Amino acid sequence: MADQRRTPGSQTSLREANRGRIVDAVKKHGGLTQVELAGATGLSPATVSNIVKELSESGVLSTSKSMRSGRRAQYVTLAHASGLVCGIHFSQRHLRIALADSSLTVVSEHEMPLARDHRSDNEIRRVGMLVADMLDNVSAERDELLAVAVAVSAPMDAASGMVARPGILRGWEGIAIGDAVERTLRVPVVVDNSSNLSALAEHRLGALRGQDDAMFIEASDGIGAGILVGGRGYRGASGSAGEFGHMVIVENGPLCRCGNLGCLEAIAGGDAVVEGLKSHYSGLKLSDVIVRAMAGDDVCIRAIADAGAHIGVAAANVASMFDPARMVIGGHLARAGELLLGPIRQVVDRSLATRLAPAPEIVAGQLGPRAALVGALSTAAEHSSAFPAVAGPADLRVALG
Amino acid sequence: MSVEALAPLASPGPVDRVPVLSMRGISKSFGKVQALDDIHLDIFAGEVVAIVGDNGAGKSTLVKILAGVHPADEGEIEFEGQAVQIPDPSTSRALGIATVFQDLALCDNLDVVANLFLGREIAGVALDEEEMEKDAWELLRQLSARIPSVRVPIAALSGGQRQTVAIARSLIGDPRVVILDEPTAALGVAQTAEVLNLIERLRERGHGVVLISHNMADVQAVADRIIVLRLGRNNGDFLASEVGYEDIIAAITGATEHARPLPDPPYRGPRRIGPVA
Repeated sequence: MADQRRTPGSQTSLREANRGRIVDAVKKHGGLTQVELAGATGLSPATVSNIVKELSESGVLSTSKSMRSGRRAQYVTLAHASGLVCGIHFSQRHLRIALADSSLTVVSEHEMPLARDHRSDNEIRRVGMLVADMLDNVSAERDELLAVAVAVSAPMDAASGMVARPGILRGWEGIAIGDAVERTLRVPVVVDNSSNLSALAEHRLGALRGQDDAMFIEASDGIGAGILVGGRGYRGASGSAGEFGHMVIVENGPLCRCGNLGCLEAIAGGDAVVEGLKSHYSGLKLSDVIVRAMAGDDVCIRAIADAGAHIGVAAANVASMFDPARMVIGGHLARAGELLLGPIRQVVDRSLATRLAPAPEIVAGQLGPRAALVGALSTAAEHSSAFPAVAGPADLRVALG
Repeated sequence: MSVEALAPLASPGPVDRVPVLSMRGISKSFGKVQALDDIHLDIFAGEVVAIVGDNGAGKSTLVKILAGVHPADEGEIEFEGQAVQIPDPSTSRALGIATVFQDLALCDNLDVVANLFLGREIAGVALDEEEMEKDAWELLRQLSARIPSVRVPIAALSGGQRQTVAIARSLIGDPRVVILDEPTAALGVAQTAEVLNLIERLRERGHGVVLISHNMADVQAVADRIIVLRLGRNNGDFLASEVGYEDIIAAITGATEHARPLPDPPYRGPRRIGPVA
C-alpha cells in the first residue's frame, strides 16, 4: 500500500514492502521475537535483524531482551513512548478490550464471548488480569497505561455512574462501574454508553465523518443509539439519552426486558428475532440467523427484514423530530447488510416522503462491531492528555534518571 | 480485525434435527463402581454441548467411551443414524469423532506442522513439507489462530497456542464431532479467551462440539446446551439460553433432580421424605 511512491520492482520498494510486513506482523501479534518474526514474515533472519534495527532507531519499533526455549532472543514490539490507553467494551454477550498508543494504533487486542447475565465483579477481575497480561505482552510497564475508557451496552446515569435502567445488564446493576474498574486498574477511568462511543468513533474515523448532526443506531442483542448534535455527543439531562431500543412502537406490545411493554427492542432486537424463529429453528444464535439469511434462507431473510421495518418506524419518528443528516446502522444485526438496511430505508423514506428536505441517508457503519471499542480508545486517548497528574510520574522518572 | 471477518463457513444448510451422535442407555462399571448408569446423550451438528458435573460424575468416562478408550458395558451408540460399536480409538477416529484430551499429547520437540500431520503425513516419494505447511496455515487461518510461525517447536508456544494446535490437529480429517476435555483448565485469561473464540469458530464450521469443563462462566459463554451428570446419571439437559447459573449448580450438586422420567415402578416405592422438586 505504502510503497506506491517507489518505483515498483526496485530494491527500495522491496525494502519498504519488507518493512511493512514486519510492522504488520508485530501489530498482529502484539510482540514477537526476531526469530518468530522471520517465521511469520518469511524473511531471512538477517533481513529481519537489519530492518528491526533500522525501525527501532527511527522510533517505530522497540526491542528488549528476552528468553525463548532457553535461548536469548530479541523481543520486538511497537514503540509506545508516549504511553498507552486502554478501551474496554462490555456488551450483553461479548467482552472486547484493546491497548493502543496515543495515535490510536492498536498494539494488543482481545475479544471473548461472555455468559448471558455475566457479573460485574467477575468480569472486572478478568479485565484486570487481561490488562496485566496484555501490558506484559507488549513489554510495557504498568505506569505506561495512562487512561481507560469503558463502553457499557446499557444506558448510564451520569450522576451516579451506574446503569440507569434495570433489566438490561443484570449483573451490573447498582455498582459504580467507573470506580470499580478504577480500583482494579488504578488509572483514571471514563465510562460511557457503548452506542454513544460508537457514534463518536464513526464520527471521527468512520461513516459519520463530516456529519455533525447525525445518529448511530446499534442493532445487536439490544438496540441503542448515539446522538450527535453539532458534532458533539448528546447525553440528555440525566446522561441516558439515546435509548432508541426502548421507544414504545406498539402500545401494550410484548414485554421488554426493561419491564416496559412494546419497546422496539422487544420486537426487533436480536433476542426477539431469535425468539421469533423458534418455531422454525431451535437453538440458533443471532450470528447463525445472519449467516443463514445471507446464504438465502427465506425464513431468516424475512425475520431480519421484519426487524428492519420495525427499526425503520422508530428511526422515522426520531428523524422527523431531530432531523439528522445521516443515520449509521451498526451492531451485529447490521452484518446482514442490505437485508436489514433496505427495509429500514424503505420505511423511513415512506414516512418522510411529504417532507421538503430529503430523508436522512441510512448507511452501514464502517467500523463494524469494534465501533464502541474504537470510540472507547479515542475517548481514553483524549482523557490521557487531560490528566496531567497521571502523565507526571513518567516525566518524573526521566528527571530522576 | 481478522477475528471479526466472517470466516468461510460450512454452508449452513437446513437444520437437520437428526443427531450426529446419539447415546442411548449407556452404562459402564469398573468392578463394583458403577461409573455410568443409563446415560442418554444427543449431539447435533453446529452445536456446542457442555457436559458438566462434580468430580466423579462420569464425564471423563463418557468421553472415553466415545473416544474408544473403554467400550461401554451396555447401551447403544448411533452415529449419523447408524448403530455403531466403538471398541478402540482408531474406530472412533475413523467414524469422525476427534478427541482433544487434557494433556494435549503434543510432541514438544517437533514443530507445529510436524505435530499437526504426525502419523498422517502428506507424502509422495518424500514428505511434501510445502503442501503440509500450506494446509497448516490454511487450517490455522480458518480458526483465526494467533500462531507466529508453524516452524517453531511446540515448546516455544504458550498454553493457549498449544491448545489451539491440539484442536487444529483434531480437525485434520474433518471430523463431525470434536470433544474437548477441560480445554481451559490450565490457561491464563488471554489464552482462555483465545480458546473460547476457537470453540465458536468450530461451531460456525458446523462441527458438533462436546465441551467438558468445570468453569461455569466458560460453559455459559459458549454452550448451546448444557448436560448435567451426577453420580453417573443424567441430571438435566438444559438449553443454555433458558437456564441460569444457579439452576446448573443446583443440578450439579443434586439440590434439584432433573432425572429422565423413569418408567413406572412395578411396585410402589417407599414414600419420599422431604420436599419433592
